[in-house]
Amino acid sequence: MGVDLSVEILGLTFKNPLVLASGPAGFGFELQQYLDISRIGAITLKTITLNPREGNAPPRLVDTHGGIINSIGLQNPGIKEFVRTIAPRLKNLKTIKIGSIAGFTTEEWKILGEEMDKIKEIKAIELDLSCPNVEGKRIWAKDEELTQEAIKAVRESTDRPIIAKLAPDVTDIVKVAKKAVNAGADALSIGNTIEAMKINIETGLPVLKLKTGGLSGPAIKPITLARVFRVAEALEVPIIGIGGVMNWQDALEYAMAGASLIGIGTAIMVDPQAPLEILHGIESFLRQKGIEKFEDIIGIAHRGGF
Amino acid sequence: MIEAELIEKKIAKDYGFFKFKLHKKLKSPDAGQFIMLKALDEPILAKPFSIYSYKNKNLTLFIKRVGRLTGKIFSSPIGETFYIRGPYGTPYIEKINKGRKYILIGGGSGIAPLNFFSELYPELVYKKLYGFREKYIRELFEEEEQSTLVIEEESGKTVVDIFREVYSEELGILACGPIPMLRNLPHDSYVSLESVMGCGIGTCKSCAVKTKEGIKMVCKDGPLFRKEEIQWEWI
Ligand SMILES: Cc1cc2nc3c(=O)[nH]c(=O)nc-3n(C[C@H](O)[C@H](O)[C@H](O)COP(=O)(O)O)c2cc1C
Ligand code: FES
Repeated sequence: MGVDLSVEILGLTFKNPLVLASGPAGFGFELQQYLDISRIGAITLKTITLNPREGNAPPRLVDTHGGIINSIGLQNPGIKEFVRTIAPRLKNLKTIKIGSIAGFTTEEWKILGEEMDKIKEIKAIELDLSCPNVEGKRIWAKDEELTQEAIKAVRESTDRPIIAKLAPDVTDIVKVAKKAVNAGADALSIGNTIEAMKINIETGLPVLKLKTGGLSGPAIKPITLARVFRVAEALEVPIIGIGGVMNWQDALEYAMAGASLIGIGTAIMVDPQAPLEILHGIESFLRQKGIEKFEDIIGIAHRGGF
Repeated sequence: MIEAELIEKKIAKDYGFFKFKLHKKLKSPDAGQFIMLKALDEPILAKPFSIYSYKNKNLTLFIKRVGRLTGKIFSSPIGETFYIRGPYGTPYIEKINKGRKYILIGGGSGIAPLNFFSELYPELVYKKLYGFREKYIRELFEEEEQSTLVIEEESGKTVVDIFREVYSEELGILACGPIPMLRNLPHDSYVSLESVMGCGIGTCKSCAVKTKEGIKMVCKDGPLFRKEEIQWEWI
């Protein structure tokens, strides 16, 4: 008896709960050589901004205990170039494509939403409200009013499902989540990297050119997991749990805390094949437990467990 | 990832040769390419290492001890298992002018890809210059390689000084080493860059270098570039 790993949310059927998180997987094309993307539930493409961005000067990445700190700085070709050269190739990626956008102003959010809306292959739009790696850019998700403003702007520009990617490092994530849903978000990604830094004690200077960056990987998992749990407890909204998923056990924890889909970022950088091992592990676990549908374990931690 | 068992090591202070037996073949590795190597636990990410030599699933790396992962490799006993994926990066041979002979200029661990190049394409090599600061490094090299070593402590000259003495314009230049060394080479040199890498395959955008044609990725578009392409002030 096979295990049914599919997940139905946002009017879409994901063949399994794994999503390649925005950033580490790029636009999928380079990765495709090393990972059969058609076997993964969805890919969230690298975040696109209105204007092209070079990203930050190097070094852009440093490792630390239990994780990595990056300050890529949203390197991307800008929405025009994305529509012109990337969008036409998207049909070659045989999985659900989620577009990701980041505006610097409310007007930009609106334009980005409209442009994404024109691309047939994009089945949902994620709002990167929480990237900590752009100098001078506000982190929208750290302020519930701003969160609401950005989501409203995109809501007006598209009927596609929209996903608000929230920051885990806020005082009260439930409050922000409620605002996001009220403003029209159909799902929430929780969360993003967490502001962090490293100092080289020989030079006495920050290692990253931007000084601070965003921490991802195993170190953030317990933190983000708690946020997913809290939001799932308070709201009926599909959640994509993202942060420090390195193996199938981590993925199951997110599902049990209430995540319908599970994002994988850093683990793809460590090993592009990691998502397949995670899938395999989830499937064996469910089989062993005699559970036929993955969806049955979503939020089980809120329902008294097994 | 491919399991890689450490089967030989030869260390002198902060440099060493490490030979691994891979449990599976690498797909036709070429000179200038690198592999991503990972320890079982910390640090999290795999790190890039140029191939020094590769024969029959035996992979040799020439490593300088710099951080947590290299520290771990240095202190690992024979028999320890690591994990490897690759090879990645564009082979040097696809980028250079094959109608020339080259002076290979290496600095420190930068000699690794040059050695693999001279192994695979000896007919393209005019001369090898491997630069190091201190003379203890001699212990690591066989008799026939001793004359390629340029040691500042012995001669008071850097590898770039020696290069200037032997260079003539019909020769090509292929270099890998520290940035200040690369910067001191003539305009039309081919230089192999190092960068902090995340994925090694062109997706994560960690390894950016600014060129005259915009941002490129060292892992995918490089590691070899023409010196004049690079916007050095950005590095
Ligand atoms: C190198 C790198 C680049 C990233 N770029 C983006 C991005 O462009 N947009 C975004 O929403 N998140 C980005 N992220 C955040 C990831 O999507 C993810 O939320 C975060 O890394 C936490 O998950 P992880 O621990 O599985 O990596 C990036 C993360 C990394 C490590
Ligand atoms: S290391 Fe990821 S793009 Fe080069």
